[in-house]
Formats: sequence, C-alpha cells, structure tokens
Amino acid sequence: MRVLVLAAVSFITFRWVLIPIRTEGSSMLPTYTPDRLHFVNRLAYGAGGPGRGDVVAIQMAGPHVLYVKRVVGLPGERVAIAGGEVQINGTTLTEPYVRHRRPWDVAEVTLGPREYFVIGDNRGMSAGDHDFGRVQVNRILGRVVF
Amino acid sequence: MRRNAVIVLTVVTLAIAGWYLLVPGGGSANVRARLHALSDMINSSTVDGLGPEARAAQLGAFFTDDVDVDLGGGAAPIRGRETLIGMAGRLQPRTAAFRLQFEDVTITMAPGDAAADVHLTAEIIRRSITTGDESLDAREFTLGMRLVGGEWQIARVTAVDTLK
Repeated sequence: MRVLVLAAVSFITFRWVLIPIRTEGSSMLPTYTPDRLHFVNRLAYGAGGPGRGDVVAIQMAGPHVLYVKRVVGLPGERVAIAGGEVQINGTTLTEPYVRHRRPWDVAEVTLGPREYFVIGDNRGMSAGDHDFGRVQVNRILGRVVF
Repeated sequence: MRRNAVIVLTVVTLAIAGWYLLVPGGGSANVRARLHALSDMINSSTVDGLGPEARAAQLGAFFTDDVDVDLGGGAAPIRGRETLIGMAGRLQPRTAAFRLQFEDVTITMAPGDAAADVHLTAEIIRRSITTGDESLDAREFTLGMRLVGGEWQIARVTAVDTLK
C-alpha cells in the first residue's frame, strides 16, 4: 500500500510539478554546465509571471525538449543589446552572472503584454550561435531550481 | 475494505494515466509510425551502405511531389521533392555522424483521416568525428501530412521560431 502511494505521489510530482531535466549545450555557462541534473518547478508562476533574473524552462513542441534561459525583459519593456550590454528602457542592466561578453548588438524591441525577453548567460559565444529573444508567457513551463 | 478500495483506486488511476500518456489514438498511430520510420531511415543512412540513388528513392517516398519546406531564418523555401532530395544528397557527406529523433509529437487528424497536422520537436544529436563528444540541437516544426496511395507523406514542413 505504501509503495503504491509512494509510486503515485512520485509519478505526479515528477510528471507535473517538479520536472527533472538534463542540461545540454553551453549557452547558460557558467551558471549551468552541460550534463547536469536540474528540476523545473511548474508551480513557480501560479500567482504571477516570471521576474527579471529568473532562469526559466521554455517549451518547444512539448515538455521533453526545453530551452533554459534567463529572463531579462518583462512585458511592456523596451529591450536592446548594445556592445554586449542589455538595455532595459534605455538603462543598462546589471548582470553579475555574465562572465564574458562579446559586443553583441540587437535593435530595440518593445515586448508585448504577454512577452518576456530571454537570453543565456554565456555572452562569450557568437550571437549567431546563441538562441535568445522574445517568448510568449504560455511557453514558459516553470522556473529552473536546484 | 477501505484499504482495498484505495489500492484499487490507485491502480486504476495509474493505469488510466499510463494509457493516456503512452498509447496514441488509433487515427494518428499510422502517422506516428511513418515519422518513426523516417527518422529510422535517416539514422541508418550512415551505416547501411546504400548508394545515393537508393537513398534518394527511400527518402522520396516520405514526401509528396509538391512538398514545401520553409526552414525560416531567411533561408529560401525548398519547393518540390526532387529539389529536396537533391539538397539532402549534397548535405549528407558533411552530416554523417548524427542521430535524428522526434519528440513531443502532437498529431491532429483532419476530417476523413486523409490529412494530418503534426507539431513536433526535432532533435539532432551530432557526434564529433574527432573527439566523439555529442552535442544536441533542437528545432520546433509543424508538418502537414497527406495520405497518398495508402502511405502517409509529408506535404509541408515549417520551422517554428520558439524565440523570436
């Protein structure tokens, strides 16, 4: 009986609440290194959307392949990248988690009411090799924890 | 008595959840199998020793004559099966060490079950020839598929920009 309950609770928890993920790639270095186990808390944003600086999991066609990115721009804000520095409404964003920067330049965009701007911590790579940009809130699966 | 009821309820709940998660609907099972066959064929292409003509014939069977491929990112659309096969043939020598798999496949059957819309993530795991290290690329796609002569074929491939 206890085993059944434990199995049911584990199934529900790791399927719908705290999803285990294995990181791949270098776009979140140095914060997240490849081949490490982390979890996505799907209940993190039940009462409100992500905050600036949150590391979130973003789903593609479904929950099995995800982007892991950091939120830098919130709905309604103007976001640009100039010389590798993220600008929010014209002000440079302080990002202590970024170690290396290349001089990326991205023209200013204004985020929609349900859009966030996400980007990886590794700005030392070429911008062309790094997936980043605007994402609709409904694609954000949850917050990456542990 | 109450304990037995809880056990039965738990088992039934898990069985229903398992069925829901693991067993595709009957109408979409053939589409799913066809996509699986496509990835198997592409993945075996590095080891089965088939020549370019046999490979082209195999690959062509998965696409309609008028297939339309839009990979986005400013790339010119690819129109027609012959063009697609020609491009694939030219790419093959440079991409020998890779494995393709489809994840999160959602299939929506059209009325009459002769067409289907598919939404999936394509994962490409590349293996470095020099170091043996693997790297993963993933891209989201929508596909339009049609039943032609009893076989499901891909009529449209559109890349989806997850991040814009």
